[in-house]
Amino acid sequence: MKRIAVVMMMALLLGPAAFADADAADAAKAKSLSVRTFQFKHKQAENAAAAIKALVSAGGTISIQPKTNSLVVTDEPENLKKIAALLGQFDVAPQPFHLTVRLVSAGRVAEDRAARVPEELRDVESKLALLRYNSIESIGSADVSGREGGPGLVELAAYRADFQFGEYDPASDSIRITDFKLSRLDGDQLAPMMKTTLNLKLGQTVIMAVTRDAQSQRALMMVLSARR
Amino acid sequence: MMSCDSFRTRFHTGTDDAALLEHLRSCDRCLDFAAHADPDVMFRALGSSTFGSEMIPPGGIDAFVDGVMQQVRVRDAETAVASSQAASWPRRLAMAAAISVAVFGATLIYRFDTPQDSSPVPRVAVAVPNRTLTTKPIVETYDSQNATIVEVPTDGTGGDDVKIVMIFDENLPADL
Repeated sequence: MKRIAVVMMMALLLGPAAFADADAADAAKAKSLSVRTFQFKHKQAENAAAAIKALVSAGGTISIQPKTNSLVVTDEPENLKKIAALLGQFDVAPQPFHLTVRLVSAGRVAEDRAARVPEELRDVESKLALLRYNSIESIGSADVSGREGGPGLVELAAYRADFQFGEYDPASDSIRITDFKLSRLDGDQLAPMMKTTLNLKLGQTVIMAVTRDAQSQRALMMVLSARR
Repeated sequence: MMSCDSFRTRFHTGTDDAALLEHLRSCDRCLDFAAHADPDVMFRALGSSTFGSEMIPPGGIDAFVDGVMQQVRVRDAETAVASSQAASWPRRLAMAAAISVAVFGATLIYRFDTPQDSSPVPRVAVAVPNRTLTTKPIVETYDSQNATIVEVPTDGTGGDDVKIVMIFDENLPADL
């Protein structure tokens, strides 16, 4: 009888101890979320939230505090380190950037010939060929410098593009070009043509071709490239 | 058999009426009633009409003895059942102990069979890029209701260095 009682007591005492490690591991996992507050001096908290949105894990949360221009982020400690590093790059004084704008007039002409691409567009010749225009003429090129939040202006022939350098997004390594308004001088009046907001990845060239429709014989291309 | 009303009408102290005494043997309420008036009536009802003589239970001594022995056997059986139930707790303990030991043993087997971090598993260093860039649409907004924006997928030539975006907008002039 005593043996049975002793065995039973040992089992009852040691059994839960065996499970203790597993329970502790689960509890540690549940407690592994940490909270950090990030306050911003140079950038808006809501823009910072958008910048880190892709980095926050499924169990993490972001809370925007507009009054203090800060973010409260809950996430795993390892992920919080990455987010902190990204926000460290994000919340910096307005950075200078350069935007190169090249304007190209493209058309489809009756002659059965391949397009002769001007020398200044050789770097994008293969891409321009995809658009199947066989008449390509360079209108001009301009290099604009500015800081985040600052204005930019390009005037090439009869065209004028004015815009704002937006915020740099370290998550996508891109800069927003906001309120990009393209106008054309008709007589002595500027006629607005389009208005857009772009995300330009640094070092990447974007060919933006605008035309009335797919059957249109003419297009205006803007070859844009942003860099620090 | 005599009714209780009839018994109480006919009963009187010191009665030896066989019918009345027979009723008392089977009716506790009337026995209580009669005993208040005549405490000796209970003894007379047991079968002896006179004090000092041998009392003979109703149905005879053999029937009385059989009844007593039957009660004894019933009590013995009840005691045996009760004792067997009382004696089952060691079995319960043994079962609980066996289950506990089985669970504990299974836990130990699981823990020792599962590869632990301390086991000499070769680790391979994997190069992880410092940062994975997210992708944003090139055209975030475009102020026209009649525009179609197409981001031309790259075919691999030139990689991602050059992107093409086509904007079809009916509001644009035809003589671009």
